[in-house]
Amino acid sequence: MNTRRFIFWGGFIIILGLIIWGLIVAMNKPTGADVGAPAPITVTDHVQGPVDAPITIIEYSDFQCPACAYFQPFVTRFWNEASTSVRIVYRHFPLDNLLPDGSVQHPNAVPAAMASEAAAKQGKFWEMVDMLFEGQSDWESLPNASSTFLAYATELGLDPVKFTADFEDKTNEDLIQSQKNEGIRIGISYTPTFFVNGKIINNPQTYEEFKTLVESTASANPL
Amino acid sequence: MKNLKHLLSQPLQQIHSSAIVFILIIALIGFIDASYLTIEHYRGVIPPCSITAGCEDVLTSGYSIILGIPVSIVGSLFYLFILIGAFAYLESKNTLILKWALVSTILGFLFSLWFTFIQVFILHSYCIYCLGSAFSSTILFVTAMHIFSRYQEQNI
Repeated sequence: MNTRRFIFWGGFIIILGLIIWGLIVAMNKPTGADVGAPAPITVTDHVQGPVDAPITIIEYSDFQCPACAYFQPFVTRFWNEASTSVRIVYRHFPLDNLLPDGSVQHPNAVPAAMASEAAAKQGKFWEMVDMLFEGQSDWESLPNASSTFLAYATELGLDPVKFTADFEDKTNEDLIQSQKNEGIRIGISYTPTFFVNGKIINNPQTYEEFKTLVESTASANPL
Repeated sequence: MKNLKHLLSQPLQQIHSSAIVFILIIALIGFIDASYLTIEHYRGVIPPCSITAGCEDVLTSGYSIILGIPVSIVGSLFYLFILIGAFAYLESKNTLILKWALVSTILGFLFSLWFTFIQVFILHSYCIYCLGSAFSSTILFVTAMHIFSRYQEQNI
């Protein structure tokens, strides 16, 4: 009787243990095994760094995503530390999906992307990227964030009239959506998604881990 | 309350094994679901913003932690308790743990209502894993109430 009980409860504990172990293994699996390679870099892309850089990071990002705001300083710092050997490409992936209750997931993501494109017209794309991420908590819940974006533009010394005109230019919206559609086509499902020399990487928690991962992925996949 | 006291003071009898197996399966699903969220919490990974929306907002909100404890771990322990209760009954017809496990489904149901309310009316974000847990704890609650009501009928 005791042996039977022992086997029953032993089996019970082992099965639960296996379930937990299986979950941990499955969750630590590298992400993106089913994600395709990003499209080649074109003139419509925002690129920072030399063309022949041995490391190219392509980032699909959403200005209203808290995780993107968390990771952006990693990208900026990495570029600042090795700007001669690193090329950064920023692509829009605004999560403007409609939710079951009729609201939009990140309603200010597209307007923020429009602001970055308007700043790009005056040569300040990357500066605006940093400002948008740094100020994310200030504008993410605003019903209309355009005045905040205009204030950022003014702070960057941009021509406010031109900025406003470009901010409202619908052709920029087409560019933003086409980048997002390209991301969807290759199977991106979250932001930020980083590709190093065409290979998707996980999003590590610290800068040191990020740096190590980028460098090891780049050396394993030379351009 | 009087009924509950009465129920707990009496032994549970004649519960159909299929009802217990059903509870075991649902509790196992709930356990896997809640454990997934617990592991996710302790991995310390910054949850990315997902195209399917919601989970990162719900799981990083202040409502996902009570007194420093992630609610998902409370959920995991809740389902573990139900699993132990159901398994003890199947293994040795031990009704003591099962009875308390069935009673605890009332709490499980109330917590699920509260967390679903938070998702719908406060956060306006939905996490499929949290809704899945709310669904399984509701099924457990309904099954437990069904078992209790049948038991009462038998004792009148």
